[in-house]
Amino acid sequence: MTDAQILLAALLTPLLSAVLIACFLRCRGTLASYVSVAAAAAICAFSYLAIQACEAGPVRAAVDWLQFGNFTVSMGFLFDGEAATMLAMVAFVGLLIHIFSLGYMSEDKSKGRFFAGLSIFMFSMVGIILADNLIMIFVFWELVGFSSYMLIGHYLDTDEAAAASKKAFIVNRIGDLGFLVGIVYAYWHFGTTNLEAMGAAVNADPSLISWVIAALLMCGFIGKSAQFPLHVWLPDAMAGPTPVSALIHAATMVAAGVYFLIRITFLFPESVLGGIAILGTSVAVYAGFCAYGQNDIKKILAYSTLSQLGYMSAAFGLGYPGVALFHLITHAFFKALLFLGAGSIIHGCHHEQDIFKMGGMLKKMPITSITFFIGVLALCGFGIAGVGFAGYYSKDAILIGSLVKENTLIFALLLGGAFLTAGYMGRLFWIAFLGQPKSEAAENAHESPLTMLIPLVALAVLSVAGGVLDLWPQGLGENIKAGMKHLHHADTDHAAAHTVHLWAMVAWIVGLVGSFFFYGVGKNGDALQNRAKPVYEFLKARLWFDEIYGFYVAKIQQRVAVLLSFLDIFLIKGLFVRGSAGLVGLVGACSRSLVVGNIHGYVYWFLAGILLLWALAAGVAL
Amino acid sequence: MTVGLNAFLIVAGLLFAVGLLGVTLRQNTLVIYMSLELMLNAVNLAFVAFSRYNGTMDGNLFVFFIITVAAAEVALGLAIIVALFRRRQSVMVDQLNALSH
Repeated sequence: MTDAQILLAALLTPLLSAVLIACFLRCRGTLASYVSVAAAAAICAFSYLAIQACEAGPVRAAVDWLQFGNFTVSMGFLFDGEAATMLAMVAFVGLLIHIFSLGYMSEDKSKGRFFAGLSIFMFSMVGIILADNLIMIFVFWELVGFSSYMLIGHYLDTDEAAAASKKAFIVNRIGDLGFLVGIVYAYWHFGTTNLEAMGAAVNADPSLISWVIAALLMCGFIGKSAQFPLHVWLPDAMAGPTPVSALIHAATMVAAGVYFLIRITFLFPESVLGGIAILGTSVAVYAGFCAYGQNDIKKILAYSTLSQLGYMSAAFGLGYPGVALFHLITHAFFKALLFLGAGSIIHGCHHEQDIFKMGGMLKKMPITSITFFIGVLALCGFGIAGVGFAGYYSKDAILIGSLVKENTLIFALLLGGAFLTAGYMGRLFWIAFLGQPKSEAAENAHESPLTMLIPLVALAVLSVAGGVLDLWPQGLGENIKAGMKHLHHADTDHAAAHTVHLWAMVAWIVGLVGSFFFYGVGKNGDALQNRAKPVYEFLKARLWFDEIYGFYVAKIQQRVAVLLSFLDIFLIKGLFVRGSAGLVGLVGACSRSLVVGNIHGYVYWFLAGILLLWALAAGVAL
Repeated sequence: MTVGLNAFLIVAGLLFAVGLLGVTLRQNTLVIYMSLELMLNAVNLAFVAFSRYNGTMDGNLFVFFIITVAAAEVALGLAIIVALFRRRQSVMVDQLNALSH
């Protein structure tokens, strides 16, 4: 097999699996799940081969897809270092989540639909990773949106899931509109949408960089990665099955927005980068606060995901795409672990998601709890003196970056975000895992089957060791290593690194210990709610974004729509369409009344005609 | 006693008026048909009278044409009326209104 064929195989295997399940295996869920897992394993194998092949240099292959006059849409692969790193993560984490789903969804009635959805998602995600031009990225971008819609709405008989899937889809369309306009503008501006060709054009003439294109393409990222102001769909998306939340709404799809930015880094001028940095930082802090007002374990993790996506975009905005990719990868490891751990608990507690109804999980589900705690530590950035879990390396790198750029405000906010992260994760862990079971469901909790524990352990290992770049396989993460080196090249940077190591350590210790004492072990109620109800209510309200959007849609957009509908019905439909038809009908009715069917009637008309003719000829009636 | 042109024309006018009234007022198709012929013959009478008083043959010539055409027309029209009666068992105009909407 040539390199391009290996990539094609990695792309098409999940599609084949999805088609197979959709056409033949809908009613045979167990077989469908094995097909889907086999496809995920095949992606893993092909990715391994592709990464081996990529070591010699980027793999490029393209075919023309559509041709209109002199405009050609091509489909092609650009498999370089970034794509290899991302593909390795998606393939591996994806496989683990597929295996986890075997256990988690074993009782589900529509397994076929679920696993077909996972496969079509893997196909779309691999497509985004490999795509070599903006149009192809957009095609697969919409496909992941579709699979996300389909999987959020998996429990389609609940109103919550139906509404959440619709919300996710519609909010994403808003961002994608900007993306689409950006693609058209980029084509008009550069004459191509090929990533490498645009990069070469920008390199040759930096004045070609346009902030408009960058800002428009950024809209797609804002929608997909759930950044402010389109972040509202992600917490609601937790209505889907937990493996979906882990795969799509934590590890891969939402991170695809960041990956997309990294692919088109060269298009971004300083002004837009600065905007992204501020945007990301504010989301990181905002989502951190929101997490304190949530009691649903998955919603807390969803806000944590928002916050970490904010960190990634802050890193990108500060000018460190390599570091952003690093945090993306480590975040995928520990956030997938946290979601799968949450899924394992939800599975064990018979779909109880409220952390105040859990408690005592450490005794009931020890392996899940320990791996979950590892995930918590990795997310909080647990580490001392340069050695730590995965999140420690990547988050510290982002903080160092903000100090190196001498952006004290962003540094302070991101550090505050780190405090918040440790605090809400501590709250979650102390309340849900320690103490005594606080509901019957938690009382009867049992450890999950092996298919669910193996992915947890594997992800726990990655969350511990995934941050040590020296341990990564050859050929992966070259951009990340370069980005990290870039951070540590001056003496002042070393000073910054020391500052960050110290402060980050203080952040996670204070966050975890503070939440331990504030919230207490396995308490029944939320301490913040009991002691400072207004503050809690304020955090729970999440700055009223959903209400504001709801008001806008119901009171403003709806009224404009009603007005337009009235104009449509009254003016276009009523006056123009019905009016002209009515006029013709009236003429018809009048002339039809002349057809009396009585010969005398015609005689009178004849006589009248003769009289008129005579009068005209005689000049009487003029 | 010499009969003047006006007398002929008055008779022709009266005949025409009778024919016209018959066409417009009578219900029986056959009577309407006869009234039509009456109108044609009123015109014929006027033509002949004009021709006689002007001493030319133009009017007489016209009359021959009219009689010929009228004969053909009557043959056709009566055939239609007979066919109509066979089909509908009536020749009354008020019952022949199938074309009204």
